[in-house]
Amino acid sequence: MKMLYIRVFILLAVVFSLLPLDLFAQDSIRLPVVSPYTGGLASFGEGVKNGAMLKAEEINASGGINGRKIEIQMEDDLCEPKEASNVATRVANNKDVVIVIGHLCSSATLAALPIYKKAELVAITPASTNPSIGKSSGYYFRTVYQDEFQGAFLARYAVEVMKFKKIAIFYEVNDYSMGLKTAFVQEAQKRGVTIIGEEAYTSATTDFTPQLAKFKIMKPDALFIPGYAPQGTLIINQATKLGMKVSFFGADGLDDVIMLSNKNAEGLLVTTPFLAEAAGGSAKAFIEVYTKKYGKEPNWFAANTYDAVGIAAEAIAKAGANRQKIRQYMVAINSPEKAYKGVTGSTYFDKYGDCLKPAFIKVIKDGQWGSAKEQLK
Amino acid sequence: MNWQEVLDRSSLFLLQLTNGLTLGSIYALIAVGYTMVYGVLELINFAHGEVYMMGAFIAYHLVSVYDVPFFAAFAIALVICSAFGIFLEYFAYRPLRDARRLVALISAIGMSIFLQNLALIIWGAQQKSFPYKKLPSLFSSMAFTLGDINLSYLQVFIFLLSVVLMFVLHYIIRHTKTGMAMRAIAQDAKAASLMGINLNRVISFTFAAGSFLGAVAGVLVGVYYNAIWPTMGYMAGIKAFAAAVLGGIGSVPGAILGGTILGVAEAFGAGYISSAYRDGIAYAIMILVLIFKPAGLLGKSVVQRR
Repeated sequence: MKMLYIRVFILLAVVFSLLPLDLFAQDSIRLPVVSPYTGGLASFGEGVKNGAMLKAEEINASGGINGRKIEIQMEDDLCEPKEASNVATRVANNKDVVIVIGHLCSSATLAALPIYKKAELVAITPASTNPSIGKSSGYYFRTVYQDEFQGAFLARYAVEVMKFKKIAIFYEVNDYSMGLKTAFVQEAQKRGVTIIGEEAYTSATTDFTPQLAKFKIMKPDALFIPGYAPQGTLIINQATKLGMKVSFFGADGLDDVIMLSNKNAEGLLVTTPFLAEAAGGSAKAFIEVYTKKYGKEPNWFAANTYDAVGIAAEAIAKAGANRQKIRQYMVAINSPEKAYKGVTGSTYFDKYGDCLKPAFIKVIKDGQWGSAKEQLK
Repeated sequence: MNWQEVLDRSSLFLLQLTNGLTLGSIYALIAVGYTMVYGVLELINFAHGEVYMMGAFIAYHLVSVYDVPFFAAFAIALVICSAFGIFLEYFAYRPLRDARRLVALISAIGMSIFLQNLALIIWGAQQKSFPYKKLPSLFSSMAFTLGDINLSYLQVFIFLLSVVLMFVLHYIIRHTKTGMAMRAIAQDAKAASLMGINLNRVISFTFAAGSFLGAVAGVLVGVYYNAIWPTMGYMAGIKAFAAAVLGGIGSVPGAILGGTILGVAEAFGAGYISSAYRDGIAYAIMILVLIFKPAGLLGKSVVQRR
């Protein structure tokens, strides 16, 4: 008999040690934050992670959400649509999850979108800018502008300030790059710019010389690269090695520190949703705390995620931990008066869940990112 | 068509040709490693692409962390990778030499995955590049410029180094005792060892030589494209394997020819047909050649082999 007791005891001990810890810590609220944390875009993901952690710590320090602590659960989607839908399915099936932050890449967000929609789960993306995201869901919101705006903004800048006449476009085959390219071309052509050539590349390539050789013969004033930084820096290098003398410009996907170690990227212009120099009062404090904590200035992913977590926390606090109620709450943030005021300005959503946010132009000068001399009003 | 257009078109053609030849000589260097190992062991060394990646990373590490001058780092990386090739064969393939060929192939794939993840742990997933200040300044200057056509010293260096190495390899295989032993093993390993050839030593040499050339390609690619990352060996390995098959696997001149053809085809395919399908174009050529010439361009037909 004694043996049986011991066996039962051991069995129970094993069972309890296998149970997830949060069974005992019921009171914390899990908030999944999905982004690439490894792979080529890991440095974007680092901003997402730091921004989310910082906001969560601040919320917890001031008493959490109605007394419950918020717990950031980082999920890696590698910026791949396939991985993104796996992560989204896992997240959506967890009944304790009432709102999601993510994803970063537009292609990943578009892959996850139908899954969240089916699960009636609200998601806030801090970084995906493809125009079709808002229009095809109803459960997706964003704290970043979308590319119909960014593309047109960049086209205006290229024409009005930079006075480019002939532009070649080198884009990646993904939703972000192609959506941005389309918006840019529309506005640029309206303003009388000739798009003298368009070429595509895939993220797996490192040799861009065949396409660049074509561009070289066309002799554009500028090369527009609506892609991500790891490929962008290689493109700029290889174009320079080919002896191309053009200006380079891109969008928020090129806004990364990796560009600074490339001496050929001097003078590169990019759009960005967040510029430390142009930031308002509350942003100054954020930048200071962030820089002190992580030893580097926040990139735009950090700032936008910081605000996204803030909105999510407020939604849970005001609407309760219920997916449907959170959606109703989010939809109701629809005017400047009801806007969430964060470090990236005030955020409120139109009927598609898109928001109006300013864009800025950054430039690399003496190996450092800084505000461009002229900004568009 | 006016003269300006003719000039533009011909300079584009020449630009693509130089790009293609540079790419082709790199494929050839890697392909030779596949084909040599296949020649002696009839094994496809799927970890070969990872040796190429290791070469690039070791040189990068020496240059950026220990401040070793570039050419010294290059040489050290080559020595380490050659030794690594021997080590790879000793641990992953030698114990399985008498097992079925599929077993060794699985071991090769396992080794490839292991090495990729090892590099991921040591160097992280992010793309690395040689600090430009520590590279020879000659590499970023032009050797030759005429209108829109230009050729950098780096391209010339890659091309010449590959050609020289190929001649050295040819000399070793054709005119030295070790080379003769390699050819003998390729014909019949059992008979060769009965004749007193030290099988293990020759196989180790084959792996060392193949890894040496693979590492040369890795470092050159790291400098040329300025990008080094843990999974870089995968795509390069597959392409070089295709080049070896295209040229006739087991044949060293075939691998060189296959690599060059593949490189040029890729550059022209991307330049003239569609850049989004460049990999597809390379593989389509391989498939077409294999349909009409199953042993590859310079490969021996199966009947002669056995």
